[in-house]
Amino acid sequence: MARKTPMTQEAYLKKFSWAARWRLPPQESEEAIADYRELLFQPGRDKNKLVAELGEPVQAAHLLTDVKTYRRWLAVFAILTYGLFLLGKWAWMGMTPLHINGLGPWWYPVWTMVAGLALSLYWFRRHGWKSGPLPKRLLLALAAVFLFGIVTLAWTYYLFDPEMMARLAEAAAGNPTPWQIIAQRELLIEGGIACALAALVGLALAKCYDRRWLALYILCVTVAAMLGFVEFHMISMDISSRGCPEIQRYLFARLLPMGAVGLMGTGVSLC
Amino acid sequence: MLKKDLLELCLLQLLAGEDQYGYELLRRLHSGFPDTQESAIYALLRGLCKAGCTQDYQGETSSGPARKYYRLTQAGSDRRAALLSQWRALKQTLEELGVE
Repeated sequence: MARKTPMTQEAYLKKFSWAARWRLPPQESEEAIADYRELLFQPGRDKNKLVAELGEPVQAAHLLTDVKTYRRWLAVFAILTYGLFLLGKWAWMGMTPLHINGLGPWWYPVWTMVAGLALSLYWFRRHGWKSGPLPKRLLLALAAVFLFGIVTLAWTYYLFDPEMMARLAEAAAGNPTPWQIIAQRELLIEGGIACALAALVGLALAKCYDRRWLALYILCVTVAAMLGFVEFHMISMDISSRGCPEIQRYLFARLLPMGAVGLMGTGVSLC
Repeated sequence: MLKKDLLELCLLQLLAGEDQYGYELLRRLHSGFPDTQESAIYALLRGLCKAGCTQDYQGETSSGPARKYYRLTQAGSDRRAALLSQWRALKQTLEELGVE
């Protein structure tokens, strides 16, 4: 039987840091981490008895948790995560059982985005914590999501051009779906799901590492909501008919303000 | 009186004598209560700090980095007195019941 190797001080501190940052308000967690660093690296400390003497790292963080504050954070996290789940589900299925009289389902992703932006910015501006210079990995992630959003929207613009739509409608008559439509569908589905997942990562990092990671959450939610908006419209369209020549203008008159709001939210979260 | 109160009383009692280094406090209490992990004692110490019963400060050392020390406040002294009277009453009750 393999013997379980004892946890090193570094591993203990790393686990404790994550658990403390997740559960405690930023200043308290930093204080507790500094104290545990001092306790763990004492000259007299037996490295083989860390868990026996100090307890499991997560349990140690749990003991310091103020239940009321933690539950409030969990409620915020649950709401934001549910919004991401909906965006992912809408990207995957392109439909919703929810119908509100007089309002098209394409507005649901927009509401989700607005609610997510407002709640997350309010929470993290109030309870968040900045540490050090802007992380390079955050900048890279933001650049990748931004680029993906631009490429997908440019492709959407190209596809919804009235002449292009007319050509696609002709090509689709009695034939399999044109590849341009398939490519668009894949971009919307896979892109929407990937953005929802990346937003979740951004949210976790904003709580545990640096609140500026919220920028990733906001940008991803914005892109996912824009893709959902387009996808719901595409689902309700009949590609074999010539469709409405105004659709390109209609879509982008709504997508551009959405994108502008999302970019503003991203900028605010980076400050 | 719960074990938590007893541990709090011990922490406050140790601090009543002189300011103490956090690690020392934890070690001393852990050796007295081996079934209580240091993380639980540390949580109590933080709780006392938050309640204003103790204060922490960075103390100087002859070698190595500055260390965090704890001192008792007036609120801590009052809390200690209250816990001490609870403990004496409990002890007397136990003696009257023949528990030794």
